[in-house]
Formats: sequence, C-alpha cells, structure tokens
Amino acid sequence: MGSMAEEQRAKGVNRRTFLQVVAGIPAVGALLAFAAPLLRYLKPNLEPGLGVPQGKVPPDLAEGDLPKGEPLPIARLEELAEPWSSKFFVFTQKYPQYTPEQAKAATVPGVAIKLPWKVRFPGYRGGREPTDIVVFSRICPHLGCIFNYVPDWREITAGYGGYMPPPDRRHGLLGCPCHLSIYDPADREVPGRVLSGPAPRPPRYFVYEIQNGVIVVTAVEPGGIA
Amino acid sequence: MWERLREWFSERKQKLDLFDETNVERYDNPLYLLGQIVYFSWIVVIASGILLMIWYEPTTHGAYTSILRIQHEIPFGWLIRGMHKYGADMLIIAITLRIYRMYFLGEYKRPNELSWMILFGSLVLAMISGLTGYLLIWNQRAFWAAKVVLTVAVYLDELPLIGRTRFGSAIAFAFLGGPAEGQGTLTRFYAIHFGISVLLLILVELYFIFTRRKRFNLSPTAIGILLLMLVAASWIFPAEMGRRADPNRTPLPILSDWYFLALYQYVKYTPPLWAGLGPGLLIAYGMLVPFLDRSKGRRPSERPFFTVVGVMALTYFLVFTALILFNIAVIGRDPHIVLIITALTLTLGFLLEIRYRRKVRAAEAAAPKPAPRAVPAARPAPSSGA
Repeated sequence: MGSMAEEQRAKGVNRRTFLQVVAGIPAVGALLAFAAPLLRYLKPNLEPGLGVPQGKVPPDLAEGDLPKGEPLPIARLEELAEPWSSKFFVFTQKYPQYTPEQAKAATVPGVAIKLPWKVRFPGYRGGREPTDIVVFSRICPHLGCIFNYVPDWREITAGYGGYMPPPDRRHGLLGCPCHLSIYDPADREVPGRVLSGPAPRPPRYFVYEIQNGVIVVTAVEPGGIA
Repeated sequence: MWERLREWFSERKQKLDLFDETNVERYDNPLYLLGQIVYFSWIVVIASGILLMIWYEPTTHGAYTSILRIQHEIPFGWLIRGMHKYGADMLIIAITLRIYRMYFLGEYKRPNELSWMILFGSLVLAMISGLTGYLLIWNQRAFWAAKVVLTVAVYLDELPLIGRTRFGSAIAFAFLGGPAEGQGTLTRFYAIHFGISVLLLILVELYFIFTRRKRFNLSPTAIGILLLMLVAASWIFPAEMGRRADPNRTPLPILSDWYFLALYQYVKYTPPLWAGLGPGLLIAYGMLVPFLDRSKGRRPSERPFFTVVGVMALTYFLVFTALILFNIAVIGRDPHIVLIITALTLTLGFLLEIRYRRKVRAAEAAAPKPAPRAVPAARPAPSSGA
C-alpha cells in the first residue's frame, strides 16, 4: 500500500479526488446550514414573539430573557440598627419559560447588612449617595452555592479554609461553604470585594429603596444561575 | 490522505475490542475480566433502571417521595434501587480500572487506539449518566452538585474569541432548561440519563451483530458471584437518600458521587474558568494519549514519562478525594504546593525518559558491532535511535 500512496502523492491530487472535494465542501456546508437552526430546539427560554401569539407574553417579561421580580419589603430600619446586624430574605423572580403561564419562578436568597460606616453601594441610588446598608444576593458568583453572612470573623477562619483576615477586616464577612470564597461586605471601595478563594467577582447586589423606614428590594443584578 | 485515513480506520475497526471479548484466553487474570464486568454491570443497570421507571415520578415535588417509597414501601424496591446504584458504581470502577490497565500496559498502542478512545469516551458518558441520574433523587447533594457543574460551563464564555458566542451559557441553559435549576432541569436530566444508555445500547448491539462476537463470555459462576456482590451491597448498605433538595440552603460541605470528589477539591483551588478547562484538558489528554506516546515499548518501564504522568494522576485522584472527605483545604497555600509538586513530577518523568532513551541508544550502539558486514556499505544504516 505504501508504494501506491507514494505514487499518488508524487502525481499530486488526482482529478476524481479533486472533484469530490470541490463538490463535497458546499454539500456539507449546506447540510450544516440546514441542521444548525435545529439546535434552537435545545434552548429553553421563551422569547417574545417566537411561536407565541402576540400580546400573550406577560408585559413584565417583554424584555428578552431576563428574570423579573416584584418589589419585596425585607426589613424595617430599626431591625438593622446595630452595626453588623443582618436580615436574610428570599426574593422571587420569574423568568420566561414554556409553561401554561409562560413563566417560571426561581428564588434568590439575599442578605441585608448594616455597616458601621458608609460606602457607595451600586444597589442604592446607583451608587451616587453613600449608604450604610448593603444588600447582596446570597448566590455565590463563583459556582452558584448559597453563601453565608458570618458576623464573627473567627468562625470564618475556623470553618472556611483557614483564611486569616488582616486586622482592619476583622469584622462580619461573607463566606461560601462550597469552595471557600470569602467576601468583605464593608469594603470602602468595592462592597463585597473578594478576599480569598476562587470567586471571580463580588457577589451580585440587590437594588433597594427606603420607603417610610422600610427597606424594599426591587431587583437583583442580572446574571448567574439561580 | 483520505485513503490513508480510511485505511487507518479500517485496520483499527477490525481490531476493535470493547469488552475484552477478544482476550478470552487471558481470563485467568482478573484484570482481563474487567471488560466483561463492564458489560455485565451495564446490563444490570439498564434492567434495574427500567424497573425503577415504573415507580419513579420525575417532578420536583414528587421525585424524592417516590424514591422514598421505592426504597421503603414497595416490595423489593430497595433491591432494585440498590442494584441500579451499585451496578452503576461497579460499571464506573470497572471502566476506570480497565483504563488504568490499558494505560500502564500500553494497550492503547497500535492497533488499539480506537478501542482506547471509545473506552475513554464511554467513561465520560458514564460519568455524565451518573451525574444526571443522581439529580433524579432531587436531594440536597445532587441538587448542588448539578448546579455547581453547570455553572462551571458558564465560565467558558470568558474564553477569548469563541467566548463571545456565549456558547458556555448556551450549554448550561440547554441542560438546566432555564436560568434556574428546577423542573426543566429534572426533565432534561431524566431524558439525558435514559438517552445515553439507549443510544449506546443500540450501537453496542450493532457492534455485536456485525462482528458476530459473543456478548457474555463470563462463566455462570462469575455472573453468580457478581450478582451476589450487588445483592449483598444493596442489603448491607442500602442506597442512601440524603435530604430533600432545598434551593435556598447549601449543605456544608457539598459532596457528590465518589468519582467527582477529586474534581470538587480541584475546583476549590482554581479560578472558575480553569475549573472547566482543567477537566477538558484531562479528557483531551486521555483521548490523544495513543498519538502522543510515540515510544516503542509497552511495559511501564519502557516509557517512563507516561508512566509517571499516570501515577501522578492516580495519586492526585486519591489525595484530592481524601482531602475533600476530611474537609481540608487551605486556599492560600495548597494551590502552590500542588503546582510545585506537579512541576517537579513532570520534570522527574522527563529526566527519567531521557535517561532511559540514552540507555537504549547506548545498548543499540553496543549491540550491532559484532556484525558490521551484514549491512551493505553502499546504503547508510537507517537511524533507528531517533
């Protein structure tokens, strides 16, 4: 066989192979072009106007695939009077989906923390005014576990991979039990700064308002898997 | 080139051996029974899986309860479920051991490259099947395992150039059935879990029909012993249930099926993009190792570099599994240690390889001296050492 192949190589590409390749490439291309849209079958979300009668898409879902939630009062300001006190809550979002209601609910657990100093937090008036209350989604931006708010930093050192915070950060910290990411909710420049572990970014923030002394969350920074 | 590729393929196809069915004369060595054990346990898993489908309810509300019922109320439910679980464990163990056998004995070399690639791919599919099947219980451990694994895929969007297509998120969404883990995920996982085995079963049946080989070469005694092992395991260690899945509480520590544990420890140590790329590279290495390893010999001592890599992989698997079970991880320190050990081990393997090759070359240079006249002077001797 070796000699035959060598002979062929010496002659260069023969006519038949050449024609086969020239005819084959467009044929395969056309086949792929027809097959590629079928991948759409695997995509779960319901896009407005795609196979759904106009006007049947719930109005709050009209902007693409982003999940939406109802405003949720989470705590009165007096409940968060003490520095490092906190309040857990669960925010419900709806996202577009092929169901009779055209939508499905997913929950995002969150935590509101009172800081002893003021920081610029993007969830409060777009970060234009400093605030001493930060509200984070507890879904870890790393791989989606639910992380904890730990008021005592010694527990972080003991239970979250032996991280020893520097002296100016020995206060309440956020720690994820899965892969041991640690965040500082009270960092003066970037609230939620990653102190240790594999997390690529600070936790996602909740957008909140203060209405008559009550903290009301209205939305959560998009992205991630709930 | 096309011609040569076809020829390469047809030669491998003739020598294809999926379940050690061409190694019958070596069955006195248990290492060569592994392929047959793979086939046997796979059939057990399929049969018990079909029986489980009779009672299982694939909904987020009903899944956990229906499995509780299978385990505790339905006559022999515990047995069927145990056979399914321990059969799957046996399958994974047998495939893994067989991969290590083929690796250390150089059995992936010509003409077995294709057999090796199929076997390696089947381990990946078996692990996917394990992950998807595990979620069907809808308990805490499975819920968080699935969420973590699928979130890893999202980070593939960070890759330069191809990341812009957001194919990582597309993969995650296709598995999850939406931006959250819920009923859609359960339905899709059920389909994948079932589909993998159905597709492979059809392919394997075609393979047996075309090659006209015998499916079961195990003796009735061996089959009896294996069945007895599975029954005993399901009786003595009833398959566990865990707690019902709660999307708002992460258990501490999160664990998974035993064959994913080492991967979990690795994920703690690396930035999340590498959590996806690392296993991908490992799979790529496994698939390509028959072509990377150009050494002549088959014995472990005749290809030191690849032996060292294999031993290192096995050691890491065991050590990482132990570390996560004892919940030991110091994020600031461990990754450096791991990197240094890896670099040192690879260097050691490289040095051993060089030393071995030098020795071979020295032996070759010393050997042909007695008969220099046998080679005609006109033709230069082929350089065999290179």
